[in-house]
Amino acid sequence: MFNIISKTKYAYIFSGTLTLLSIIALFTWGLKYGIDFTGGTLMEVKFENQLPINQDIENSLKDLNLKSLTLQSTGNNSVLIRYASEDDKINQTVVATLSEKYPDSQNLRTDYANASVSSELKTKSLMAIFWAIIGIMAYVAWAFRRVSHPVASWKYGAGAVIALIHDVLITVGVFSVLGHFWGVEVGVPFVAALLTILGFSVHDTIVVYDRTRENLQRSSAKEKFPEIVNRSLNETLVRSINTSLTVIVTLLAIYIFGGESIKYFSLALLVGVTFGTYSSIFVASALLVTSYNLQKQ
Amino acid sequence: MNSRQKLRLKFILVIVLAVVAGLIAYPQAVSKIPRLFSVLNKPKINLGLDLQGGIHLEYKADTSQVASNQVGDAMQAVQDVIERRVNAFGVAEPVVYTTKSAGEQRLVVELAGVKDINEAKKMISETPFLEFKDESTTTPEQIPQDQLDKTNAAAKAKAEDILKKALAGADFAQLAKDNSQDPGSKDNGGVYDFQKKGSFVPEYEAAVFDPNLKNGDIYPKVVESQFGWHIIKKIEIRGDGDAQEFKSAHILIMKTNQPQPQTTWAATGLTGKNLKSATVQFKSQGLSEPEVSLKFDDDGTKLFADITKRDVGKRIAIFLDGEIITAPTVQTEILNGEAVVTGNYTVEQAKALVKRLNEGALPVPITLVGQQSVEATLGQVSLAQSLKAGLIGLLLVIIFMLVYYRFLGLIASVALLIYSALMISIFKLSGFTPWQITLTLPGIAGFVLSIGMAVDANILIFERTKEEIRKGRNILSAIEEGFKRAWTSILDGNMSSIITAFILVEMGTGFVKGFAVTLIIGVLASMFTAVVITRTILRFILGPWIEDKMWLIGAKKENI
Repeated sequence: MFNIISKTKYAYIFSGTLTLLSIIALFTWGLKYGIDFTGGTLMEVKFENQLPINQDIENSLKDLNLKSLTLQSTGNNSVLIRYASEDDKINQTVVATLSEKYPDSQNLRTDYANASVSSELKTKSLMAIFWAIIGIMAYVAWAFRRVSHPVASWKYGAGAVIALIHDVLITVGVFSVLGHFWGVEVGVPFVAALLTILGFSVHDTIVVYDRTRENLQRSSAKEKFPEIVNRSLNETLVRSINTSLTVIVTLLAIYIFGGESIKYFSLALLVGVTFGTYSSIFVASALLVTSYNLQKQ
Repeated sequence: MNSRQKLRLKFILVIVLAVVAGLIAYPQAVSKIPRLFSVLNKPKINLGLDLQGGIHLEYKADTSQVASNQVGDAMQAVQDVIERRVNAFGVAEPVVYTTKSAGEQRLVVELAGVKDINEAKKMISETPFLEFKDESTTTPEQIPQDQLDKTNAAAKAKAEDILKKALAGADFAQLAKDNSQDPGSKDNGGVYDFQKKGSFVPEYEAAVFDPNLKNGDIYPKVVESQFGWHIIKKIEIRGDGDAQEFKSAHILIMKTNQPQPQTTWAATGLTGKNLKSATVQFKSQGLSEPEVSLKFDDDGTKLFADITKRDVGKRIAIFLDGEIITAPTVQTEILNGEAVVTGNYTVEQAKALVKRLNEGALPVPITLVGQQSVEATLGQVSLAQSLKAGLIGLLLVIIFMLVYYRFLGLIASVALLIYSALMISIFKLSGFTPWQITLTLPGIAGFVLSIGMAVDANILIFERTKEEIRKGRNILSAIEEGFKRAWTSILDGNMSSIITAFILVEMGTGFVKGFAVTLIIGVLASMFTAVVITRTILRFILGPWIEDKMWLIGAKKENI
């Protein structure tokens, strides 16, 4: 049996540092928002023959006075064109201009959102995350309502929520770094990934808490709360790791073979699930013990 | 029925379910039996726009001109109109619906598998907006007559003065530059280059063509026209008869007139929303003079009657997309809700107008606020890639389960295959219910992720089983105990996933919705396969024979 609870100090330091770094990254670099949050147009244009250099394409679009135009080549002979736009007319002009200048070009996909759509998506995303946290906290508190000794049931809810905020913050921090150095954008899919991480992280935490609950009901009076928690952690350890392994394996399959469009979506899930497993083992239960110790003093 | 018989029945049901789901999911397995194959091959997965290519368009409708209690009707009418337009385009199963979000009325159009995305977009966005407006005349305030006379007398006196100077030999060009109030000519010395005879006011031309006036001479009198007082200099006349042209210069001192009443077009509230139908008909039975006949609905009839009543003798204009297409004069009050538009139409023009009116008249204007389009080839690539990812993921999970849990892993893998077949069947069969599920790219990601999570229930159970074996239970009772004790964890854990997935569905945009719906169905189905199906198979297959084959389970007895 591993004495996981005795390593709480290191886990707190590790988690605290990562969370802090994530927050710092978020405040200094922020996130690189995609079209769905900033509004504007993203086009992927494929070229049948030679891929023209970006400067060429830029010159051919010069007369249209596109605001904050950026071009980025992708692997498969296509170029991603981004610009700010508030009216669809400009998109039609861009398409017409490109197909005139490059008859071999093909518009693979177009994403366009004007300000009202993007601000709405932003609000909706924040609300979704907010309600997911509230809903999960309420559910965990309800599910553990019969466990009130020695730690109150709402503390299970709070512990699960702190662990999931930790997972989400670190995932956001990782994408802040990815956005700053590699231009990885976050949009609505990223929010969906975050919410899934929320669900998964709590799922994992609940399994451990569940075992703690069961062991509390059957334990002898001699066994102290920290020992019960530690035993529960050990008993669920293999399961936590195996489950995460299967999920990580499938996510890796999506990340590697699933194509460009869902690559970063699965990457976000990968990061979140990994830290979710870590936090449910090293953080969530440790929080219960810490609160128990504080209570005793 | 004793418990053994019950179990046998359950096991048979599981086999039947597995076979049926397997065949629906993969009908190619019986492609040698054509009759069965053709039935099984009918249900198809409804692929999203991102997988088969297509266009998702979101329009904002401007309902500010519509009374708030009629917004719903207006939006319904917009939807009907766009549906007709889209149907005419021949896309299979177009989706058109209205939503309300962020306080705006929105219209969403989804066209799957459309070949020419820009053409389709054009066709929808160029849908005309029809409006009836009536003439209203506004008369600006009148200037008192005596004040007007005084101003004009002063202007005339000024003109006389300038004429005197000009006749006395002052530089005409300079005088024009300093005094002329004709912005079109003053800066080039008042000169107008050659103009056809008849293009100027008659008073002016009478002076220029005065036979006594020589080239270069200034007309000796101030000429009064509707514009004011002109001092005219003849420069040259050329040509003969009708082709005569003249070059001249003038200095204009403007006359102040009473402001004229002005015609403007005012909205009547009657729009394309009220149009029931438009048809081409012909005047006097021939094919010579096509007319467009309009028929209004009940509201429109009433409105039209009111308008024509107050506008007898005045004009009503029909605007399409803000441009006047015709402005007929109202002859009499029209009560039957029918109007005839006579214009100088050819048959083709009339037909085109009727088509536009019937198909495209929108009660409220719309603007595109969001678009997501995917070219069909890109969709196919995405589909192939994500299916490959899914298969690889499934395979890796099965390998892991076999290696780690051996016999139990084998049963779990069978359950996992049944789970996958079940999911595909649910996707396919949902098409026959009102709740058709559309499989999107993120949906496939959700499906693959749910495979990983489906296995979790089995891992929980098997770990618990191993634990109970370690505590000294025999294999059979340990397995029972494993299922029993793991159940609360499975339920509680999956509930949290379902809660977040429901919130994702509420968020509602395409990407997220497809993912969340798949996740919810996946979690529910996986609970069923991992618990009910695995348990039934295990109970049926396992017997006392397993007890001395501990290696099959991958567990060790520790504390015996």
